[in-house]
Amino acid sequence: MSLRTREPLSFERSVPGKVGMDLPKLDVPAARDTRPAHLKRSGFDAIPSLCEVDVVRHFTRLSKWNYGVDDGMYPLGSCTMKHNPRLNEKTAALPGFAESHPMTADAHVQGNLALFYTMQEWLKEITGLQAVTLHPSAGAAGELTGVMLIRQYHLAHGRKRRVILIPDSGHGTNPATSAMAGYEVVELPSREDGSISFEDVTDPATGKVRKGLLTLVKELGSEIAGAMITNPNTVGVFEYRIQEISEILHGIDALLYMDGANMNALMGVARPGDFGVDVMHLNLHKTFSTPHGGGGPGSGPVACSAALERFLPRPVVVKEGEKYRFDWNRPDSIGKVHAFYGNYAMVVRAMTFCLSHGGDGLKAATMRAIVNANYIRRQLEGTYHLQYTTPTLHEIVFDDHIQNGNDITTLDIAKRLLDYGFHPPTIYFPLVIHGALMIEPTESESKEELDAFVDTMKKIAQEAKDNPEILHQAPTTTPVRRLDETAAARKPVLRWVKA
Amino acid sequence: MRYLPSAPSEDRALLDAIGVQRAEDLLGGVPSELRLKRELNLPGHLSEQEVLRQLEALAARNTPFQARFLGAGAYDHFVPTAIDMMVSREEWFTAYTPYQPEVSQGTLQHIFEYQTLICDVTGLEVSNASLYDGGTSTVEAALMAVRLQKKRNTILISQGLHPHYQEVLCTNITPHEGLKLVTVALKDGVTDMEDLKSKLTPDVACFLAGYPNFLGCVEDLTAISALTKAAGALLVSVTQEAMAFGWLEGPGKVGADVACGEAMSFGNKLSWGGPYLGFIAVRDAHKREMPGRIIGQTKDLDGKTGYVLTLASREQHIRRDKATSNICSNQGLVALRANIFLQLAGPEGLKGLAEQNAAKAQYLQSRLLENPKFKAAFTAPFFNEFVTRFNGDVKQLQATCEKEGILPGLDLSPYAENLKNCILWCATETTTREQIDRLIAVVSRVA
Repeated sequence: MSLRTREPLSFERSVPGKVGMDLPKLDVPAARDTRPAHLKRSGFDAIPSLCEVDVVRHFTRLSKWNYGVDDGMYPLGSCTMKHNPRLNEKTAALPGFAESHPMTADAHVQGNLALFYTMQEWLKEITGLQAVTLHPSAGAAGELTGVMLIRQYHLAHGRKRRVILIPDSGHGTNPATSAMAGYEVVELPSREDGSISFEDVTDPATGKVRKGLLTLVKELGSEIAGAMITNPNTVGVFEYRIQEISEILHGIDALLYMDGANMNALMGVARPGDFGVDVMHLNLHKTFSTPHGGGGPGSGPVACSAALERFLPRPVVVKEGEKYRFDWNRPDSIGKVHAFYGNYAMVVRAMTFCLSHGGDGLKAATMRAIVNANYIRRQLEGTYHLQYTTPTLHEIVFDDHIQNGNDITTLDIAKRLLDYGFHPPTIYFPLVIHGALMIEPTESESKEELDAFVDTMKKIAQEAKDNPEILHQAPTTTPVRRLDETAAARKPVLRWVKA
Repeated sequence: MRYLPSAPSEDRALLDAIGVQRAEDLLGGVPSELRLKRELNLPGHLSEQEVLRQLEALAARNTPFQARFLGAGAYDHFVPTAIDMMVSREEWFTAYTPYQPEVSQGTLQHIFEYQTLICDVTGLEVSNASLYDGGTSTVEAALMAVRLQKKRNTILISQGLHPHYQEVLCTNITPHEGLKLVTVALKDGVTDMEDLKSKLTPDVACFLAGYPNFLGCVEDLTAISALTKAAGALLVSVTQEAMAFGWLEGPGKVGADVACGEAMSFGNKLSWGGPYLGFIAVRDAHKREMPGRIIGQTKDLDGKTGYVLTLASREQHIRRDKATSNICSNQGLVALRANIFLQLAGPEGLKGLAEQNAAKAQYLQSRLLENPKFKAAFTAPFFNEFVTRFNGDVKQLQATCEKEGILPGLDLSPYAENLKNCILWCATETTTREQIDRLIAVVSRVA
């Protein structure tokens, strides 16, 4: 790997007079200056003057400091880092899609509307739910849309409710979303097997009692708007009493929201709509292979039951004969959730992924993801500690309990993996497992890659015993070593300023 | 299936190692009564060729236009070739959130540069790593202003904000029972200062003004900020066309406390509305209420400069229901396009592009106004969009243009009673004189 030791900030390389973009010859009279003097652009302090060569080299060099799915296994649990098929990039860039303007009349974007409609139909079949919106921009935006649907549903039934129940193992976005939708969050405790506890749970250390689902429902009853539950949950365990949970919630007129971040474990295996879920989001950038892009853009469609359909964000695509149109006349809609219709180019990619796989391929992907995770589980069980021994699906969460004896933590293990050329798993999440190492290999990994990862994890466990200092010092082969995050937060430097 | 690493011998070896006969045996955790008892009712898998054919057929069902005069929040700018080439490097597009900074310095340094550039164009001090789009960045800016202005619960917005942003804002503010959303009217295409003054009551946390606004008019932020400052409210500028920053002074330098909006114009395709690029920038004093990810500079163990996610105690994965926002991702790859775009353009290129936009729009307006059926709707200065009143049948005008392969401006009739027969036109550096002259010839045929 030819890693340069340092690529300066582009601002530091600026040479006034250099040009990276030639402008076309102006074929109309020059602009008259109509601006009030005080609103005229004075100048810029940072935008660099570079030529194309400089810029291309800069971004190529910077790119080499990144690790992507194409570099190797990227077992970031809950993030579903699967292969990003190149065909998806090609279809999203087809000029017919890429050059279509979002304010164009329906008659001129029949292809987009048809694709939207078809994608919705696929997601309805995969989730077993009755309606879908593709507007939310990411998983968290999908959650917010879903919780607002729940709110609107209650309002339409003349009910005001203030509480959303969320398990302690849930993604941080769940409580943050509920708060943004005006709800108070009450936490549901987990049982020893990782599932939601119906009964009260007593913390053995503190003796503190945490109320279980049944007590909370009894006490808060008509104040509960719904529950947000990840299934399979963040420890990879299917919430086996999900249907009962749904019935209990429906018994108090509350709704069940499912965080669909882990849908990669369920395609063709089980459908949320069949096990009592009222509304859920999907992550097209996880389950449906759209690239993660260094942090986005994502896409977070929401699927819901027939009872919630009328509240969906507008506009809604409808099919009339062979023609499609947007229906903007949706009096019960929660309103728009995106300036246009969401991250459409990501939907094109996901549709491409779906057509490539077909129903059979989607199920095969899920099954392979489950096999891969269980293979890792089997190979590393004993070497690393497993808090929950319940059957797991697409991911497996170990922890650093065994290695703690040698003064080694999850962070050390993760950093040592970097030296061996693997992206580490998700660490320290879910919070219910102390020192969690959450491994999600996805269906993309071959036996060869899995074995290499397993061997490396075993080697690191051995090093933890024999030579813990190596782990404390890791990584040493990366472009930078461990960074001082405390200093970064204490005296934040958040932009370059000319010296 | 070409994307699955399946081979009969290896599949068997994996199952044997796990100790199960069939993969289905691993589904023990899923109660059998909850499993799907049939195959998904979807078509079977396809080859690349077959998929491509289907998608090409769909793409072909969209009407191609030879010339576009439509903006309204989505702008047709030229995208330098280097951008597509750079972002298609796997290291950029197949990586995820830089949770492991040692192997994510590329992404982290890019975002640090992006933050610097957003601060530069907006004239403010702190930018985050980006938000979804102009609509949701408007929401985040308003909610942030409310957090900063404890005890003030009214969000005042100019009617000149993009109507879709207004609706997204309304969707997101409605669940907050304590918050009020109040609209200030327009006068001659810009915020009515008298109306603004009368509505700047002590409970107003912030005022949101378009810069330029939805009708293309340039609001005088300096004059507005004098009023908001006196009333103790924060001024939030909402820019739906970031290319205007090459023409207009950064909002932070002319009175805005927060700048937010849409920056898809920097290096992105229209793509039917997304993915686009929400941006937000604030003054340094306000950074701890900022939503979303922020990247900061620091040192590694050897004293070498590096970058990390920072100020994370604001975020959902730490603060859960007390977080400043629920946002988890950003628009990473879209922000990368903007970063590359601005570095290629350089300061002179950005100004030059903006001047070309203004020149084309002015030429388009002057040619339209040669036709007595068109009247300028407003007198305020504009950048690359402007409104004309049309003394004729707008629908017929649109149909005629579309038949000629021209995408005309936006019919504003549905948006407000006083915008009947008004059209919002846009021209950019990609618009040619020939296209404009052809448009003029076509519209002259409309009765």
